[in-house]
Amino acid sequence: MDFRFDIIIEYSPYLVKGTLLTIGLSLAGILIGTILGLFIGLGKIQRRKLLTWPFVWYITFFRGTPLFVQILLIHFGVIPMLIGETNGIVATIVALSLNAAAYIAEIFRAGIQSIDRGQMEAARSLGMTHVQAMRYVILPQAFKRMIPPLGNEFIVLIKESSLAAIVATPEIMYWGRAMAGQYYRVWEPYLTAAVIYLILTLSLSFLLNLLERRLKTE
Amino acid sequence: MIKVANLQKSFGSHKVLNGINVEVQPQEVVVVIGPSGSGKSTFLRCINLLETITDGHVLIEDIDITDKGSDINKVREEVGMVFQHFNLFPHKTVLENIMLAPRKVRGVPEQQARAKGMELLKKVGLEDKAEAYPDSLSGGQKQRVAIARALAMEPKIMLFDEPTSALDPEMVGEVLEVIKQLAREGMTMVVVTHEMGFAREVGDRVIFMDGGLVVEENKPDEIFENPQHERTKAFLSKVL
Ligand SMILES: Nc1ncnc2c1ncn2[C@@H]1O[C@H](COP(=O)(O)OP(=O)(O)OP(=O)(O)O)[C@@H](O)[C@H]1O
Ligand SMILES: [Mg+2]
Repeated sequence: MDFRFDIIIEYSPYLVKGTLLTIGLSLAGILIGTILGLFIGLGKIQRRKLLTWPFVWYITFFRGTPLFVQILLIHFGVIPMLIGETNGIVATIVALSLNAAAYIAEIFRAGIQSIDRGQMEAARSLGMTHVQAMRYVILPQAFKRMIPPLGNEFIVLIKESSLAAIVATPEIMYWGRAMAGQYYRVWEPYLTAAVIYLILTLSLSFLLNLLERRLKTE
Repeated sequence: MIKVANLQKSFGSHKVLNGINVEVQPQEVVVVIGPSGSGKSTFLRCINLLETITDGHVLIEDIDITDKGSDINKVREEVGMVFQHFNLFPHKTVLENIMLAPRKVRGVPEQQARAKGMELLKKVGLEDKAEAYPDSLSGGQKQRVAIARALAMEPKIMLFDEPTSALDPEMVGEVLEVIKQLAREGMTMVVVTHEMGFAREVGDRVIFMDGGLVVEENKPDEIFENPQHERTKAFLSKVL
């Protein structure tokens, strides 16, 4: 089997751009998904049971349906409805964020509920409001425990951003598929894409490990 | 100072407090004893609304905390609580544990909160542990920090729920000593304990609870020498 490095080199400027876009999409998804996830997670564990329902439904929907379907719905349905035209990048960021938020909400919920209830009671008995107790006592402790599962979720998100190729968002897999289509080759485009994803996910794991160790020694 | 009137508490269909009536005077030390499951902790936790009250009234300095309009956070600032399992904040140093509530709830300036914190640590004999994390302390030290943390809000009332039950025997003394010191200074306190010697020495009044009711209350000597009720006698004969 001859391996055609020349076509990889030919496509390398596009692959670099695609990689940058993948990183951008992932960062946006992580950031928005985390903020949204925190609110949805808090919404789900609030005392007023009736108000938890929208959050429960949200999580059920986004965890219970494929991201593939969500991207198509958002790209061809939701975004045109909101801005009057399709936009692959916007649709991808929206879909990744909304999807990740559902998983991250559950991570937040589990993290918060894993903190001994005596912590909340001690904080409240000192006169803190519920919000102050959350902010200064519960969340800082919960956050440390959430780093490993959050890291997993972020890695999943990087990989799943490859689904954006189907709505013509020019990230890594989009260019991989373009390369495959132009030269009728399999190994060069897809192995190259695989290696790039591997580098991205390994770098993220490395950073998260570093963070986790820093927080542990603190 | 504290007035509890016909306090009732149920967990679902399980009735735990069946109408408690207790009054605590300023500077009084009231010790609550009774068998396991009699509702001592629940009673104490109702006094600062860590449990929702099913029926009856609890007045702290004439403020009815069962009234929806009263500011429970304000009341809790005046009522310190010490728990069996300490509940120190593990992500903060000893001094930060003590400074947190004054800083965030009262808005006390950093310097002032720090000075007050060090003063309290000195009082409980732990100045050298200011920068340590709770995990590195012994049980007795943790509980003394917890007491200092509650005192940092300058409460008028202190509630103790079995403060020495989770401690190794050799550490009980150091914690009781701090509580005795508070009693001498005139702090109003309600103490749930299984330490009968302590109850006798420090209590102005002893309340015996059983089955979610106050069965008997009296001066310590009276209750221990001359209990009136069968259930009190039975309980005391087991623990003394
Ligand atoms: N959150 C809760 N939900 C349901 N039942 C509870 C709850 N807290 C306490 N109970 C029940 O209420 C009763 C009284 O409990 P409480 O903790 O007040 O007893 P106690 O006198 O403090 O006992 P101990 O000496 O063992 O601490 C027990 O039967 C207990 O099972
Ligand atoms: Mg108890």
